[in-house]
Amino acid sequence: MGLSRRRVLAGGGTALGTFFIGGRWVEATPKAARERGFTPQVLTAAQCGALESVGDALVPGALQAGLAPFIDSQLALGSGSKLIAKYLGVDPLGQLSFYRGIADNLITSLARPEITPEQLIGAMATDAVTDWAGPPASYAFFVLRADALDVTYGTPEGFATLDIPYSAHIQPEAYW
Amino acid sequence: MPGPDTVIVGAGAAGLFLAARLAEAGERVTVLEAGPERSTQDLISSQIWARKLKWSGPAVEEAGNHPVGHAFNAGSGTGGSAVHHYGVWLRLHKGDFTVASDHGVGLDWPFDYDELRPYYDRIQAEVGISGDAEQEIWRPEGAAYPMSPLPIFAQGRVIQAGFAAQGKRTAPLPLAINSQPYKGRASCLYDGWCDAGCPIGALANPLVTWLPRALEAGVKLVHDARVIRVERDVNNPEKIAKVKYLERGSEKTLRAARFIIAAFTVQTTRILLSSADGSTPAPGNRHDQLGRYLTSHPAGTIFGLFEGETQPHLGVTGGQLLSHDDYDNKTAAGGFGSSQWIIANAIKPHDLLGYGTSRPDIVGPQVKPWLEKAAKHIGNMTLVMEDIARSENRITLSDNTDEDGIPLAHTYHDLSADLISRWDQRMAEGQAIFRAAGATDVWQGPRVPMHIMGGTVMGRDEQRSVTDSFGRVHDTANLFVAGPSLFPSTGAVNPTFTLTALADRQADHLIG
Repeated sequence: MGLSRRRVLAGGGTALGTFFIGGRWVEATPKAARERGFTPQVLTAAQCGALESVGDALVPGALQAGLAPFIDSQLALGSGSKLIAKYLGVDPLGQLSFYRGIADNLITSLARPEITPEQLIGAMATDAVTDWAGPPASYAFFVLRADALDVTYGTPEGFATLDIPYSAHIQPEAYW
Repeated sequence: MPGPDTVIVGAGAAGLFLAARLAEAGERVTVLEAGPERSTQDLISSQIWARKLKWSGPAVEEAGNHPVGHAFNAGSGTGGSAVHHYGVWLRLHKGDFTVASDHGVGLDWPFDYDELRPYYDRIQAEVGISGDAEQEIWRPEGAAYPMSPLPIFAQGRVIQAGFAAQGKRTAPLPLAINSQPYKGRASCLYDGWCDAGCPIGALANPLVTWLPRALEAGVKLVHDARVIRVERDVNNPEKIAKVKYLERGSEKTLRAARFIIAAFTVQTTRILLSSADGSTPAPGNRHDQLGRYLTSHPAGTIFGLFEGETQPHLGVTGGQLLSHDDYDNKTAAGGFGSSQWIIANAIKPHDLLGYGTSRPDIVGPQVKPWLEKAAKHIGNMTLVMEDIARSENRITLSDNTDEDGIPLAHTYHDLSADLISRWDQRMAEGQAIFRAAGATDVWQGPRVPMHIMGGTVMGRDEQRSVTDSFGRVHDTANLFVAGPSLFPSTGAVNPTFTLTALADRQADHLIG
């Protein structure tokens, strides 16, 4: 037993994510996609902005790690989405409308001058958001926080920031 | 070219095992798998990538006070859900076979433990289980494990002390994971990636156990083949003549002498329910039993932070230790049902079972320092509790259809009040164990569904079951079911060992 048997194998379908950046499709990480000004595929720019703003309030670092391009690119995969919502009762084919609904709620709430993202997540946790429509705000809170954890800490780089050995059997060539 | 002798629906643990056994006995076998082809190279070490391994077919509708969690518990593609199972291979206890006779609830199995014991023994020698049968004092009779147990790391040792302080016993967790090279498969590296699938083959998933044997014996696998229904022989309605399926959108038909439906609990039942024909009931449903007795283990996780470092990233997802001290006293005060603790699971910072997700109350600037502490100091253990088969817990066909017009499966699953009481009681005891172990902060996760069983249960009486003890559908001569949908009772143990032993018994019967 030991590192000599810990194989890091190439292949396995670990293609980089594809993002529309600067008028063409390029392979990039979500972090790089955001830094380079990606164009969302299925969400609006405003929806992406609201999701990453609130996601970053939940888990600082999620915005820079590429939460918006992560969610948008996964939703664009339809039934192939790997978002955790799949485990939480949101079928992949229903995820786009689910996330659009969350984002539109966030946009409405953040438009109020007295509401900061930090205040909004406090209200979401207790289902105390005024005029929230659709699935409960506390449910959206849980899903979005889990997404933010995925993008920020669910990668080899994220493990490294927590000083956890990643020790892959097959190293993910990309995050997802 | 002659058609297959046997068509098997589903390339999971039961389906691939039966395919291998029947083909090795000389049969021509074709397996229809709804999901994509997978190999060990697809088992990427990432909890996010691992979501590809879970169910990705049409939605399953869920209702009741304990929905079954199909998207998390079911698999998709070669190997099925066993590709991402944790390798916790435990035997049912003797009392699990006689729940109705002993306690007046649920259903009995159509045979007792002694009938299944030789199959447990044979499968464990074939697959390889690491454990210590002598320390596992609660274990029913059987051959000793072929491999010594996996090592106990710091997390296991600290929680073990808590059990001891509460006067409770633990033993190494028996795992279908190699503690040493076994039959050409490597030993475990203890990196905790079991949930994402084990590409090195230390964990006995079907890609490294039954698939190579099946292919060597000439089994034909057809992927992306979603079965719609089976159809009766117009000249002999007691037999099935053919199976209809969609292969990449095209409807196809395959004839055979025998059909085995092994598509995991919900889809197996959906296929049979979809096979009603006009006034002729679906196979196994002359007495309105098909889909009934749906079960799922109520489970939950105890978490705690400890002063010392626990190395929670080390080990295997299934855990390091076991306690069955409370297993056999189903009627103890406080509720009803057996339960077990599987202790010191290797754990990640994110994903559904991760510690980051377990504390939604921690947000903002508190998140990173809390994760950094948990990464070094967290401990966790999982309660698995018995479910009791109830006829009203049922799989039916929905009025809604998928994009191909096929009715979706609908599941309804309630837990009774006495099972919920037992769960609450055991979780409180689990928190006390963690405090006795020295945890400075203790919390618990929600009640969650683990494993999905029932729906096509075995039995002696056609009025209370769907198949006989060999999985043959009561009213249909050449139609069989395999997998956990056959279980009349669940016990409180993980089902893969039992379903494989059961398939081994079926194979002996079919081969003759």
